[in-house]
Amino acid sequence: MIEKIKEVVKKLFKEDKIDIFIGYGEGTLPLRTTPCFITGPDNIEKLVWNSYCFNNLAVYLPRFFLPQLQKKDLKFPRIGILAKGCDGRSIVGLIKEHQIPRENLYIIGINCSGMIDIEKVQNAVYKMQEVEIVSAKEKSGKVLVENEDNKKVELKKEELLAEVCKNCQYTAPLIYDVLIGEEKRKTKEKERAAFIKEFEKKPLEERWKYFQEQVSKCIRCYACRQACPNCYCKECFADQTRPKWIGATENISDIMFFQIGRILHQAGRCVDCGACVRACPMGIDLRIFTYKLIEDVKEFFGYEAGISLEEAPPLATFKPDDKQEFITEP
Amino acid sequence: MENAKLKIIKKKDVLKFLDSLKKEYDIFVPIEKNGDIRFSKFNSEKDIPWNYRNTKIPPKEIFFPQTETLFSFEAGTSTLSNGSMTFTPIDESKSSAPGNKNYLIFGIRPCDAQAFSLLDKLFGGDDFQDPYYLEKRKQAIIISLACNKPQITCFCTSLKGKPDNEEGADIILFDLGENILTKPITKKGEEFIENLDSWFKEAKKSDVDKKNELMDLSLKKICSGVNLQNIKEKLDEAFDISFWNEIHQKCLGCGICTYLCPTCYCFDITDEIDHVAGGLAPSRGKRIRCWDSCMFPLFTLHASGHNPRLTYKERMRQRIMHKFNYCPENFKEIFCVGCGRCIRNCPVNLDLREVLVSLMSLGSLCKDKKI
Ligand code: SF4
Ligand code: SF4
Ligand code: SF4
Ligand code: SF4
Repeated sequence: MIEKIKEVVKKLFKEDKIDIFIGYGEGTLPLRTTPCFITGPDNIEKLVWNSYCFNNLAVYLPRFFLPQLQKKDLKFPRIGILAKGCDGRSIVGLIKEHQIPRENLYIIGINCSGMIDIEKVQNAVYKMQEVEIVSAKEKSGKVLVENEDNKKVELKKEELLAEVCKNCQYTAPLIYDVLIGEEKRKTKEKERAAFIKEFEKKPLEERWKYFQEQVSKCIRCYACRQACPNCYCKECFADQTRPKWIGATENISDIMFFQIGRILHQAGRCVDCGACVRACPMGIDLRIFTYKLIEDVKEFFGYEAGISLEEAPPLATFKPDDKQEFITEP
Repeated sequence: MENAKLKIIKKKDVLKFLDSLKKEYDIFVPIEKNGDIRFSKFNSEKDIPWNYRNTKIPPKEIFFPQTETLFSFEAGTSTLSNGSMTFTPIDESKSSAPGNKNYLIFGIRPCDAQAFSLLDKLFGGDDFQDPYYLEKRKQAIIISLACNKPQITCFCTSLKGKPDNEEGADIILFDLGENILTKPITKKGEEFIENLDSWFKEAKKSDVDKKNELMDLSLKKICSGVNLQNIKEKLDEAFDISFWNEIHQKCLGCGICTYLCPTCYCFDITDEIDHVAGGLAPSRGKRIRCWDSCMFPLFTLHASGHNPRLTYKERMRQRIMHKFNYCPENFKEIFCVGCGRCIRNCPVNLDLREVLVSLMSLGSLCKDKKI
């Protein structure tokens, strides 16, 4: 696949269709890649494609199209971007919210077979911090990890997939200019939502306790927000000082306010790419909250984020028969 | 320090040893919590995770916590003629219990101990004395634990460190398996061990040999490094070179690399006001300081709305410049100890070592390379 990607990118530069290409480059640590910005045909060899390309690249797009740049009469760049299913859905969202112009994008869609969760690899073999993984190689559905004592273990990729990648329904983006790999739609809605259904069965106190437990680990580094393509606000409510909505401390009520605010701002927008969960250094289970919201929006408004460019987002529409009970009856 | 000062304590006695010091000291040890290791108050139920690599959150939080109340105040009864309210500080010394315990930091990694010696230069330098940090720091005894197994992100050897680096610690420990070898570094450390002599016995030559062997092995395990010679001088010329146009590109602007850095010290000061229930008038409040990060846009946002570090580029440059140029200028020290936390935890794998390598490999920085 990587050869195909390079070929397309080379062509795009040759035909002068893009100014920048955003893809993945080799990481400096095992089981990692790093977002890679390419500005000409010479650097294309840097690109890689494997099961560690988990960063959602759509997050980088809005910063190229800031309104203040337009005011300065700068010409917006034409950007080529590699998009997995989830990145593609984020791109749809950003276009719909008028953060990025479709005509300046060249989307190379790729059918993704799921990304690996580093924690799962670490825990599959060794207990935390006991042994350091020094290298990892991937080959036909298997991952070969080597530890510092030169011991090698072979693991099945299937068992290492990130939670968001298990039962992924949209492995290829829904809009693209060229697609690498075939477009296969999977209907695994039930399996995907199973964990939320399980969680919902728990009594309210238990769910509340879980929420508190999770957010109490937060150090307010805002990596979850910064890694999310939807969080492009020029100034986040959490940062504002006039008025100041939240205290600055890691007091649990301040953290909860931030978390609830961030999560609720994702209603009808979160595409469940897992970027926030992966970015969080404290291992907080943010997805259980964002996914609940996804389910609610689906249930109440029949809407799924990042699927179509035409369908109006639920936060921007009003229908007289919109559900409202949830506002008054939690 | 001669070998005569080297002592041995049985590993299985360490918990009892620490327990016996509980009355006298506030003891901080690495403790497993929520799937991570973090420095927390000693608890004799929980064993020391001797094999731990390093904590995610650096032990700087003991002396320089993420949130610290500087003082509290309450609304006065009078209102000034211009309508503004008056506040009076609350005297905390009366209400708070007489603690006055000394701090004992047990088992921190040598790089983090070195980081304390850097923070000391800032918080306890000639220009400013930070009472909040110093109050705790001055009463502390630091016992570090040499590294038998460095991580792939460790590069302390590029920054005056090594797995048995002594700087910043009063005593250093070596994990020999069943025994722990102790080596006093400062006078304070020496006295500490002398006073508790009954717990220790003399180290044998075989113990010392074992220690040396372990340290040789450990040093070999550190496989990444950057030659940082003259980096300060190099950066003197580098403020406006085109280098900065690219290295920040993938940065997300989060707080991870600075919050988790043992030497990053920037903070923000705010007032938190409590309102009487239902009322709008502030009744009492606190002045607090919290960790802040140069990677946040708000960090330099002026009241006028102007922001001198408007984009990721200026902010990334600041992070590198501050550690590798401004601090050498002000404190004669690079403010990085090579612990690798920023590398390990960066969500986009922006590797500081890579940045430094490419910076050091730039030829002489002549004018025409500038933006
Ligand atoms: S990334 Fe994690 S620790 Fe950081 S602010 Fe978000 S939830 Fe908190
Ligand atoms: S941790 Fe990485 S993404 Fe976050 S601010 Fe630092 S360099 Fe940027
Ligand atoms: S800059 Fe990175 S490697 Fe250096 S001390 Fe800070 S966290 Fe550690
Ligand atoms: S950087 Fe050096 S001192 Fe710090 S944990 Fe790694 S080997 Fe030990």
